[in-house]
Amino acid sequence: MALAQQIQLQTGGSGARGSARRIAGSPALRVAGRRLLSAIPVLIGVTFLTFVVMSTLPNTTAQAILGLNASPSAVIALNHSLGLDQPFWVQYWHWLSNVLHGNFGTSIQGQSINHELASRVPTTLMLLLYALVVSVVLAIIVAALAARRPNGIADRLSLAVSVLGLSIAPYAFALVLIIVFAVKLAWFPVLSGPVTDPSSFFRNLTLPAASIGFGLFAIYTRLLRADVVEQMQREDYIVTAKAKGVAPWRVLIRHALRNSMFNLITVIGLNLGGLIGAAAIIETIFQVQGIGNDLLNGISQHDEPLVEGIVLVFALVTVFGNLLADLAYAVLDPRIRYGRSTS
Amino acid sequence: MAAPLPDVQLATPTPPPLPSLINARQLRAQRMGRALRLWVPAGILIILLAICFLLPLVTTLPSATRGNIIYNNEPPFSQGHLLGTDVQGVDIFSQLVYGGQVAFEISLAVTAIGIAIGGTLGVVAGYASGWVDALVSRILDILIAFPALVLALVIAQGLGPSEFHLILALSVFGIPAVGRIARGATLVIRGLPYITAAELAGTRRWRIIARHIVPNIVPGIVTFSLLGIGVVIILEGALDFLGYGIQAPQPSWGNMIANGQQILSAQPEYVLIPSIALLITVAALNMLGDALRERWGVQ
Repeated sequence: MALAQQIQLQTGGSGARGSARRIAGSPALRVAGRRLLSAIPVLIGVTFLTFVVMSTLPNTTAQAILGLNASPSAVIALNHSLGLDQPFWVQYWHWLSNVLHGNFGTSIQGQSINHELASRVPTTLMLLLYALVVSVVLAIIVAALAARRPNGIADRLSLAVSVLGLSIAPYAFALVLIIVFAVKLAWFPVLSGPVTDPSSFFRNLTLPAASIGFGLFAIYTRLLRADVVEQMQREDYIVTAKAKGVAPWRVLIRHALRNSMFNLITVIGLNLGGLIGAAAIIETIFQVQGIGNDLLNGISQHDEPLVEGIVLVFALVTVFGNLLADLAYAVLDPRIRYGRSTS
Repeated sequence: MAAPLPDVQLATPTPPPLPSLINARQLRAQRMGRALRLWVPAGILIILLAICFLLPLVTTLPSATRGNIIYNNEPPFSQGHLLGTDVQGVDIFSQLVYGGQVAFEISLAVTAIGIAIGGTLGVVAGYASGWVDALVSRILDILIAFPALVLALVIAQGLGPSEFHLILALSVFGIPAVGRIARGATLVIRGLPYITAAELAGTRRWRIIARHIVPNIVPGIVTFSLLGIGVVIILEGALDFLGYGIQAPQPSWGNMIANGQQILSAQPEYVLIPSIALLITVAALNMLGDALRERWGVQ
């Protein structure tokens, strides 16, 4: 079973086989399996909705390919040969069966979308991961500092920064970053070039990742800080740990922060969908060669196959992100890891 | 010789310090802080709304769409132009005022639609359970997983740019979010004893929803909606910024930022001024939402 193998890889170490078997029978994995199955109608629904929405736009594909001087009969003929005069559910079925065979079709500019996605998806994924990892790590550090003394200086400062992060529009923040770091200080380029090696990765993706990540950092910091503070005041195991004479820092990190990770993981999974919009706008501002940028171009050119392909990729990322969050629960929570039901 | 009393006190965990046990000065400071946290953002919002909607009625502002090219690039605080003029000589303060009107109108309309449709769907799904719940939840799932920006852009492009079409396009964001919150809150309330009591007393379903469920989920939805208004203002700006929203001669904060982007390195203030207006508005909404949440005890 593929999922069990995946778990085995993640747990690793000695006796992995035994624990994998225990996990395979655990409720968390069954939930994850059910999630995977329920993802299928969501994916179909999302792609179908995209099809319906895109087909409401005036069909200018043939006109765009043939040019403005094409005769109306040539336009009709090309529409027919492309299958664009068929009802949209026929077109959708056609597209879906092609995708299931691994063929995303060709964009109206005549390029293979498979090729387009293969060259551009990695850049967007790198950008999103960069933003996500840095914001999560910083949020954990800042939340721990803030929760150490509620209403202290660090706490108030972190609150101010997180309100700022929640309130600033990502595109406005991106332009501010450009003014300061690209124009005035000239540390980074205004427009991002292609990413080929680690140094170009940091050079080209740091400002876009910061624009996306600041808002995420604000959300995560708020969430973690509130959760940790509540645990420190309420939970019995905190009192026990303190009574045993565990150092305050250790109580905070090993006992409270560790438990708060579960909420954080859920929120990260839920947020993935919203990252798409941010990625599209930020990639356009910095001209990052990713699929967010392609998505906006595709919409403005009514490039239905391209938009469909990109929406599917984003929907897959969202669904699998949520699934990974579920699996992370199974791996991190000892009650689930050792195969005991939580109820 | 009141020996047993200390024993009993030792056995119970230390209670959290009650407000009445803190000295009077601390208590007053606490109350003051709470009042300030509520009224400072509320005051900022009232002032912003007054500037946007009342100021144009009582004074004559320079035109926000046409300017004299002779007076272009005037610095802030110059004669007759509070925040200066842009490249075409259009008064920036007037643009901010009329752009603010658009931002408030659209975000309030979108939030109202979100509460009306999403809230109804969520409450009905949460209360009815069974196949109704399954169907509504699945639809909300699809709408949440669907990149709403795509839908919003396509709607804005297909219908043509106008304020009303923007409201329709942005409702795609509002409805599923409120729907999910309302459903979750309804599920919590539904499990409480007084709902069972009402059901046993033979109260009609719509009456249970109207009298017992809706009043109890309103605080949660209002605080969430205040954050939602901020999000919609940012998104509306994003659509304008990308050129799918309010179109050029009519000012909006988003297209002011987009225009400023063209001359970013020479004159960053054209980006900074509308960005700061956006920031202050959304921050005030967020802080007001937080203060109300604290006051009403919403989690």
